[in-house]
Amino acid sequence: MLASIEKNILLFLLISVGLIALPHIYHIPASIFGFFVLLLTWRFIGIWKPSCLPGKLLLFLLTVGGLVLLYSQHQGLFGRDAGTRLFMTALALKLLEIRQERDLYLIVFLAFIVAASQFLYEQSIAMAGYILFVCCVLLGTLVAINSRRQNTLNALKTSAVILAQALPLAIVLFVFFPRVEAPRWMLFEDKSRAKTGLSDSMEPGSISDLGFSDELVFRVRFQGPIPPNAQRYWRGPVFSVTDGKRWTAAKRYTYTAAAEPDFSEPAYRYTLLLEPQNNNWVFALEMAGDFPPQLHMNSEYLLTRSGNPDKRAEYPFTSYPSYRTGELSGHKLRTNTQLPGPASQKITSLIKRLGGFDTRPEQFVDRVLQHFNRENFSYTLTPPLMEDNPIETFLFETRSGFCSHYAAAFTYLMRVANIPARVVTGYHGGVLNPVGNFLEIRQADAHAWTEVWLENRGWVRVDPTAAVAPERIEQNVNIEQQIASRNISFFSADSELARQLDWLKQARQLWSSVDYNWQRWVINYHSANQTQFLASLGIESLKQMLYWLVGLGALFTSILSWLLLSRKEKTADKVLRCYRRFCARLGKAGLKRNAGEGPLDFAKRSKKAYPKQTEAIDEITGLFIKLRYQKESSQADLSRLSERVDQLKIRRR
Amino acid sequence: MNTLSIKDRFRLNRFFAGENPSDEAIPLNQRRIFILPSKRGLSFVVLILLLLLIAFVYNNNLAYFLTFLLASVFFIGILHSYKALAGLIIQKGQCKPVFAGERAVFEIHIDNPIPVPRLSLEIDLHDKTQMTLAPYEKKAVRLYAPTERRGHQPCGTITLSSGYPLGLFRAWSPLRFNLSVLVYPKPWPQEIPFPETGGGASDQGKAEKGTDDFYGLQEYQRGDSIKRIHWKAYAKGQGLFSKQYSGEQGDELWLHYEASAGYGNEERLSRLCRWVLDAEKAGLRYGLKLPGQKIGLGIGHAHRARCLEALALF
Repeated sequence: MLASIEKNILLFLLISVGLIALPHIYHIPASIFGFFVLLLTWRFIGIWKPSCLPGKLLLFLLTVGGLVLLYSQHQGLFGRDAGTRLFMTALALKLLEIRQERDLYLIVFLAFIVAASQFLYEQSIAMAGYILFVCCVLLGTLVAINSRRQNTLNALKTSAVILAQALPLAIVLFVFFPRVEAPRWMLFEDKSRAKTGLSDSMEPGSISDLGFSDELVFRVRFQGPIPPNAQRYWRGPVFSVTDGKRWTAAKRYTYTAAAEPDFSEPAYRYTLLLEPQNNNWVFALEMAGDFPPQLHMNSEYLLTRSGNPDKRAEYPFTSYPSYRTGELSGHKLRTNTQLPGPASQKITSLIKRLGGFDTRPEQFVDRVLQHFNRENFSYTLTPPLMEDNPIETFLFETRSGFCSHYAAAFTYLMRVANIPARVVTGYHGGVLNPVGNFLEIRQADAHAWTEVWLENRGWVRVDPTAAVAPERIEQNVNIEQQIASRNISFFSADSELARQLDWLKQARQLWSSVDYNWQRWVINYHSANQTQFLASLGIESLKQMLYWLVGLGALFTSILSWLLLSRKEKTADKVLRCYRRFCARLGKAGLKRNAGEGPLDFAKRSKKAYPKQTEAIDEITGLFIKLRYQKESSQADLSRLSERVDQLKIRRR
Repeated sequence: MNTLSIKDRFRLNRFFAGENPSDEAIPLNQRRIFILPSKRGLSFVVLILLLLLIAFVYNNNLAYFLTFLLASVFFIGILHSYKALAGLIIQKGQCKPVFAGERAVFEIHIDNPIPVPRLSLEIDLHDKTQMTLAPYEKKAVRLYAPTERRGHQPCGTITLSSGYPLGLFRAWSPLRFNLSVLVYPKPWPQEIPFPETGGGASDQGKAEKGTDDFYGLQEYQRGDSIKRIHWKAYAKGQGLFSKQYSGEQGDELWLHYEASAGYGNEERLSRLCRWVLDAEKAGLRYGLKLPGQKIGLGIGHAHRARCLEALALF
């Protein structure tokens, strides 16, 4: 009953529920979050004024209200957003209906689900630490429910100890639990959710965390040599229209045919096996010369296919990395120098400083790239949010971002300096599978770069990300690996600033190393990754994996059992065992200890029966009582007791 | 007591009824403690599976980790539940006779010999009693059981259990002691006149009158009524004496089984019980005659107990 649930337990529970829901303020509509906060506050007040808690009718109405709210904001029944909203609403409603201990458990369980849903939105170290802390509080609530007369701080301590003990086992499970990718039908479509892979627009400032999945996009098998990594740009959608934040494709070019560029050798012939996609784009190596007739190339050199993108398809291509495109039409020139508005003073002065407006475009391009390279720009997969004026924020304040940030900022600077430029997205690189001798391009290889139009050369690819993190472009490795293992320098060595900010640089590098390892080993530890890692340990089959899982699990369990159970009880047990031995000896001789007979009474009786042993009996009894009932007993007493019992000689009566 | 045959070990009954009754103190160890998930524990498993499904569908590693962490917490919960009971030493205590229909009180002693508090213990006989034990604390617990029939009533299986720390598992230990309560017959509900006895026509009224005539002092014997103690002498340090009254000698009351002719066996015993109690209260010297059994005249606590025991076990 309600009365029996203590106030401090409720308080504890409500605080942890509040904490667990807090980060969702960014993820769910304000109305639903408001509903949650309202109900939580109501429940808080209800701790001190139980009379104001809603009755059955009101609770029913609230439930209906919650459902209406869910429906009005509906995103379908399944999927991340819908699920999160549903669980939040259920949690809020359940808070107002706490009658028994069972209800507390249900709330804690729901809170755990909400905790897990946080990870579907953000997977940073900070979030993981936060959720771990809140889970500790939630478990503490369970401990408090299950212990009488214990203060909540102690309960928290107990739950922290339990969590700490569970950690090694959880890590073993995490490493060895086989990861299988979910079948496609299980992936609920979320309309509002940024899909993995390329999208039809780009908005760098609004993404704070580039989820990179290991999902395969396509495979390429070359006939002949494979182009170097620096040339492996797989062209996708081109964005030339911007409002300052968002970059989209110019609609009018979507279906106009391309004027074929002039190609020069070498040529690469290959077949491309495209996995099922969300869009009908086909990602060919820049620049595709020959392609099958069922594909269409628009005037921005994007290949599209007609028909269902859900099916796997194979296409033969011939691509030429060196090419020259033609003149720019007047309309195209306007589109590719389009700006959302006049550039700010800061931007123009930066451009002037870098020699914009009065040098040759090629030179300006180089200077901007140098600017990225020399100043403390850094490459990160988890940049801060830049909600308004993302380009300026990026260029002058945060200075950290991933390829989209660099491509967008670079294109913008070019356009302000009257150089036609556009953003190209697609994939870059790809990993050679030595067994099949083909390249695998995964979603994690998604990339964005820039094209500038230069006199006599046409559209030229410039990759500003390469200026910051050249390793990503030149070598056949992921930037994420580089950041950690080789300490990419975001500063050039002779920069004055770099020397001054040496400690800052080191801290940054340390952090990016930590962040990289987190991304690589925790967030991105998926099936391919796992197989690779375990193979490096010599674990190759699923069977071996399970052996290790069970073996290490058993090892940790036994260590833990030993730590938990072997201590403390030992002395008490030994004392009792010694005394039992004493009683058994006397019992054998014919003097049985009666049920419920205290040690002193028994001693009296045995002394009467064996007057010769009076001294020994007295000492044994005395030691036993001391060890058993007094706190200040020592190990020496125990060994003495054991000794005396062994020496005791009693002849049968 | 210290060894258990293989066959006994696998006896299912051991899980619920406990081992054979014991006289000794029982320390709780792995042989005595059983652990199974509680209902809440099972729903926690469902929660873990749900989280696993979420992690699987979204291929989200941190969700996986949370799932595994909770699974590990659940798993090591077994050790913690064991720890909640392990090491406790339970010993049987005293048990006073009661009348049928009253609650029997069984006393047991629980000793926590280690410096770890036991925060949530539940002892179940007929009703559940909840308690906590501080480090090194030893507590006497009184357990109540209803009684219905006279005779020796064994104290059934005492179940000591705990859901600490998370309530996901229940650790329990069924304990049986050689402990029984002596149940006296239920006293006849109404007051009934004493039976006519051959020894002298004494009735209640006369007996009361008899107590008025002071006869002398006699050394206090166990069972003498506290009202008759000569307190003045005791205060002077002369020792304990009971006052004797002249009427008493003649007031002998024989309580016959046959006196309640026409009643059934249990009813007769019930009436006799009532008479014993009334006679004791009235300060009469009384004796009990049952078929094949005779308890001589006497008075006092011990005598009363002897008579009632005879009735209980008849």
